[in-house]
Amino acid sequence: MSDLELVDVSLRDGNQSLWGATGLRTAHVAQIAPVLNRVGFRALDFSSSTAMGVSVRTHRENPWDLLRLTRKAMPDTRLQFIGTGFRFISWERAHPEVMELVYTSLVNAGMDRFVVLDPTHDMDAVRETARIIKKAAGGTGAEVIGALTYTVSEAHDDAFYAGIARQYAECRDIDRAYVKDPAGILTPERARTLIPAVLAELGGKPLELHAHASLGLSPLTCLVAAELGVRVLQVGCGALGNGTSLPDAERLVANLRASGHTVDVDDRLLATVARYFDGVAEAEGLPAGQPREFDAAFMHHQVAGGVMTTLRRQLAELGMEHRFGAVMEEIGLVRAELGYPIMVTPFPQMVIGQALANVLSGGARYDQVPDQVIRYVLGKFGKPTMPVEPSVLDRILSRPRAAELAEEPPPLSVPELRHRFGERVGDEELLLRFGMPGGEVDGMISGPPAATHYNPDTQPVLRLLRELAGRPPAAELTVDKPGFRLTLKGGDRD
Amino acid sequence: MSGRHGFRRVVVANRGEIAARVIRTCRRLGIETVLTVSDADAGSPPARLADKTIRIGPAPAAASYLDADAIVSAAVAAGADAIHPGYGFLSENARLARACAAAGVVFIGPAPETLEATGDKLAAREHAVAAGLPVLPGRHVLPDAGAGEVAAAIGFPVLVKAAGGGGGRGLRVVRDPGELEHAVAVASAEAEAAFGDARVYLERYVSPARHVEVQLLGDGERVVHLGTRDCSVQRRYQKLIEEAPAPLLGDDLRGWLHAAAVAIGEHLRYRGAGTVEFLVDPEREEFYFLEVNARIQVEHPVTEAITGLDLVEEQIAIAEGRPLRVRQDAVTFAGHAIECRVNAEDPRHDFLPSPGTVTRAVFPSPPAVRVDTHIQAGATVPPHYDSLLAKVIAHGDGRGDALATLRGALDRCAVDGVITNLDMHRGLLADPEFGKGGVDTRYLERWLAREGTLADGMESAAYVLDDHE
Repeated sequence: MSDLELVDVSLRDGNQSLWGATGLRTAHVAQIAPVLNRVGFRALDFSSSTAMGVSVRTHRENPWDLLRLTRKAMPDTRLQFIGTGFRFISWERAHPEVMELVYTSLVNAGMDRFVVLDPTHDMDAVRETARIIKKAAGGTGAEVIGALTYTVSEAHDDAFYAGIARQYAECRDIDRAYVKDPAGILTPERARTLIPAVLAELGGKPLELHAHASLGLSPLTCLVAAELGVRVLQVGCGALGNGTSLPDAERLVANLRASGHTVDVDDRLLATVARYFDGVAEAEGLPAGQPREFDAAFMHHQVAGGVMTTLRRQLAELGMEHRFGAVMEEIGLVRAELGYPIMVTPFPQMVIGQALANVLSGGARYDQVPDQVIRYVLGKFGKPTMPVEPSVLDRILSRPRAAELAEEPPPLSVPELRHRFGERVGDEELLLRFGMPGGEVDGMISGPPAATHYNPDTQPVLRLLRELAGRPPAAELTVDKPGFRLTLKGGDRD
Repeated sequence: MSGRHGFRRVVVANRGEIAARVIRTCRRLGIETVLTVSDADAGSPPARLADKTIRIGPAPAAASYLDADAIVSAAVAAGADAIHPGYGFLSENARLARACAAAGVVFIGPAPETLEATGDKLAAREHAVAAGLPVLPGRHVLPDAGAGEVAAAIGFPVLVKAAGGGGGRGLRVVRDPGELEHAVAVASAEAEAAFGDARVYLERYVSPARHVEVQLLGDGERVVHLGTRDCSVQRRYQKLIEEAPAPLLGDDLRGWLHAAAVAIGEHLRYRGAGTVEFLVDPEREEFYFLEVNARIQVEHPVTEAITGLDLVEEQIAIAEGRPLRVRQDAVTFAGHAIECRVNAEDPRHDFLPSPGTVTRAVFPSPPAVRVDTHIQAGATVPPHYDSLLAKVIAHGDGRGDALATLRGALDRCAVDGVITNLDMHRGLLADPEFGKGGVDTRYLERWLAREGTLADGMESAAYVLDDHE
């Protein structure tokens, strides 16, 4: 009997934290899914509206097909979808009816575990989302897991989280809960008070821990959590573990066993999965997660892994890599001024957008304000956990755009969407068209079906052949190394 | 839903291309493979592909691949959860299935009772009748026990076959009543020698006819069909070219075949992958049940090509105790697929097997075609087993596309060191009659005679070439 179970986040949070959500394509997932099914994971953190958007935009692949084919390949493992319950792909708020259609479509495509998460811990919103999900799930047995999003601030003490745990215990639409530490800042010391406080109020519902390894803390925090009664630890495999992702599964399993715990996973298959992701990383030129060192400054900005990766890429695109330090400093400041939003989607994007605008304006802070920040200040994403700094509040609300956004029409309902996009568009396509520019959806639909096989070992040779095919014909190609010589000579095609 | 799921380790109790093919799916699924090998195959490519190998005996099949006790012992010693028997050898052997159950190892195949019901031609026929399938008029007889009257009632020509046999052994066509007594005696003696069962079966002989079969998957409760295959290009009951779907069948006839196959599958409460074979007279839109093959078949890749399913994966899922993962209305058929069996045999010399060492083996690569093979340069083709080297499978939007792709693929195949039937396949694929589709089971005989490759030995063969297994 195993006393600890694992949830693998490689395909969703690993890919998002380390590879900007763009690293994995359908073929990468489809190839390893049958093996992942047999490792013995309790569930996989599998998809999100962001991941689905990337499938369409970057890979031109149908994300709904990916959900279905993975479910078929993984009959025994729960597949988790994570979302806030108020948006789908687009950053704008969605009509509750639209969210209901989102969840119904996800259940139909095989998702059977859903995170409910409100970044401001607005519990009415969480309960409503959980209710919608359970309704959408019908009799399928899909489970709902409530997030306790961890951060360090004056407001977020143990009693705060215990209070939320109590509400999860009382909510019949929520089956379990997890401490979600997107920034990887939960220390073992804090875990020793936080986890007992949460467990005491959770009414016997199982508790999981999802702690990013960004600061090198979580591999230790996980061991402490196991000792304190956490039943499920979330991990990443091989190249998709460590770094700004979650603790490395192989190492954590070894450490748990060394600490006297039993973990019923198939070690051979766990290694197979880890080496597969190592292979994908190498073949695709993607960075493998590495163990991280502690970084005290991180406590200030609390920017999570995936967001950090995206930010570095954006700065590079703007030719502003050298301003990274200044931007990080500004992020900490903006976050404080906006009332310490917890740095989980969509707030990091919002805070970083504002911080970038402030840095780019060369000192004229809040000269430019993205619409999302205005909406946040207007309360459209729920009530901020702490009040927004008054001078900043005034500066933002005095903008003419703030008045416009305050008068924004309510989001479109499902019948209105059907009217706009045509009655013959199916639900899945309708939701993509709701969340994304039409051209991107058209591009996906006109593309070929996604490949479903992938072999990392053959990629270098395939790349070589593609490169050669794309060049002017060479008379001769020679590969020479000690003990080996391959020569190809040009000739007339027959 | 926690802990590990499904088989961790599977014994592949076979050899050749099917061993390699089963290993490939197991590997994709993360299942460890243990290959049982005879001395002749210890260094074969499948033995190198498998995670482990266990020697089960010397080269002759009777002392190795047909030794159920050795195979079950190997599975127990290896700590395997299950045995995949492939095709041929012990794949339909109820005794192996029961021995597996006794040893706590899962047999990846139908229940022993089903194997018994389908393995005996008479029993299978009775089940077919009970399930409402049309069968050829016929009865079983013992030597010296009224064969003449039975044959007269059925009407000549009659087919004489062993009751317990398979693979075409002990089969002959009798057109002249005067030859009946001798044919029955010889068939009975052969059947006794080969199968330990002297009973002989007489049935109506239909010609010309096509061999059409329907692939089934069942989980013991529900049965789905995966469409038709046509295997009419055959010699001495050995199929050489197969395609899916069977071409030029009317929609009604095809629908009846599907329904009949599902009916007997449901009647048998079939569990696993299986095939129901039919003799089809497309002119009259009539068909007759022939038999049920309770195993994966050599020609399964053409069905995989048009359905997008991995039949070995589905076999494993069913054996793991899962309900069928495909619903009938979710089975879709895309395009057309054709397979050529490349054998180490010499069509110019009565298809004499050509064992030896392969010195060069070149096959085209996917995705244009699929090649299932266990042959590389340096591989040995032992004399002890069948001569199948490779299956070359092409899939296209239509039959014409598949045919064109397959022609191109065969042109790129090169096997040296042993004699193969590649040239024969090239000739067949270029033949306009085959190109039209819907050839009958005597087609290959006619083609060989026309092409002048029919060797003397064949004409004097005791067997009549035109038959339907």
